[in-house]
Parts: sequence; structure tokens; C-alpha cells
Amino acid sequence: MKSRTLQIVLWVVILIGMSIGAFLGIYLIGRENGEFDLGLALACIGGGVLGFIIYLILAKLRGKRQGNIPEVDERSLQLMQKYFMWVLYFVLIISSAILIGLYVMGIEYVETGMLILYMLCLFMVLGLGALVTKRL
Amino acid sequence: MSVVNHIREIRKKKGITQTKMAEDLQITRQTINAIEKHKYNPSLELALKLVRYFNVPIEEVFYLDESKEEKSK
Repeated sequence: MKSRTLQIVLWVVILIGMSIGAFLGIYLIGRENGEFDLGLALACIGGGVLGFIIYLILAKLRGKRQGNIPEVDERSLQLMQKYFMWVLYFVLIISSAILIGLYVMGIEYVETGMLILYMLCLFMVLGLGALVTKRL
Repeated sequence: MSVVNHIREIRKKKGITQTKMAEDLQITRQTINAIEKHKYNPSLELALKLVRYFNVPIEEVFYLDESKEEKSK
């Protein structure tokens, strides 16, 4: 029951975060173009809700297939701890190396858009890594 | 000095599957596999749960491999 409540809270937080992100994106695009496209907001929220429905269906199928076996336990938590410890060092070192490399190349300014793209790629790679680590 | 366990032998002797054990102990099947292959040492809590689950003395399930310690000396 406790983990179920936690899951619901997690999904609410994710959906709210996605909506905030979508509205922020629409605001930024609108500020550039002078037109606020609310259809985009509906698509973002709709995508989030659709993702939630797909997750519910997959969770139901998984529950039928695997019974009452938990998804995480002490070993997977330990693996995740180790993974994120390495990720911390790796990200710090790689990011520093990229910054130094850019500075040496004579680039003194970085666009915030490029930084957002870098963070997006980083989160995607880290997310995939976490998924793989959880299944080990 | 490494920890050796006889979980696989005891589990098979009692006719319990990894899936059933995972369900009963609320751990993943991968963890059971890792413990049985001596790739992961369970926490004291899980070790005690395993002993209680199989209803055997702890020495029968886990023991220290003294030979490896002698080799390293």
C-alpha cells in the first residue's frame, strides 16, 4: 500500500513537472515568435497522460506475468548507488573536459540552448544506464 | 576469506523455485541468482530471512571459506 501511494505521488509529480516544462517551453517559443501555441500544451499534457496509461497497462501485464515479485530490492538499490557514484565522477570529469576543450578551441561563450541540449542528452543517457543497472 | 553458501542446494532439495522464493522473500529473482552464484553477499537481514525461510541452522546455509584465507597468507 505504501509503495502504491509513493507510485501515485511519483506520477503526479512527473505529470506536473511535464506540464510546467511544456508551458515554459510554449512561453519561451511564444516570446520568440510572438504567438503562444496552446495546441502544443494540449499535445504535451495528452502525451503525458497517454504515457501514464501505457505505463498502467504494462504494469498490469507485468503483474500478471511475474506475480508478486518486487521490482527493486537491497541489491538493486546497492547497484544504483554504485552506478550514481560513478556517474557523478564521470559527469564532472567529462563536463570539465568539454569546457576546457571548448576554451582551448577559443570558444568563450556557450548558448543556453546548447546547455539545455547537453543536459537533455545527459539525462537520457543516465536514464538508460539506470534502467540497465536496475535489471542487472 | 569469502562467504560460501548452499542456497541452491537447499532450495533444490526443498523443491522451491527461484520465482517462488523471490515472491516469498520479496526480493528479485536476479538477486537470488547472484547469491547462488556467489556474486553477491546478502545483507545480514536478508541472510537471516533466508535462514528462517529454509528453517535450517545458519552454518548450513552460510560459512566462511577458510582455505582461501590460508592461500592468501
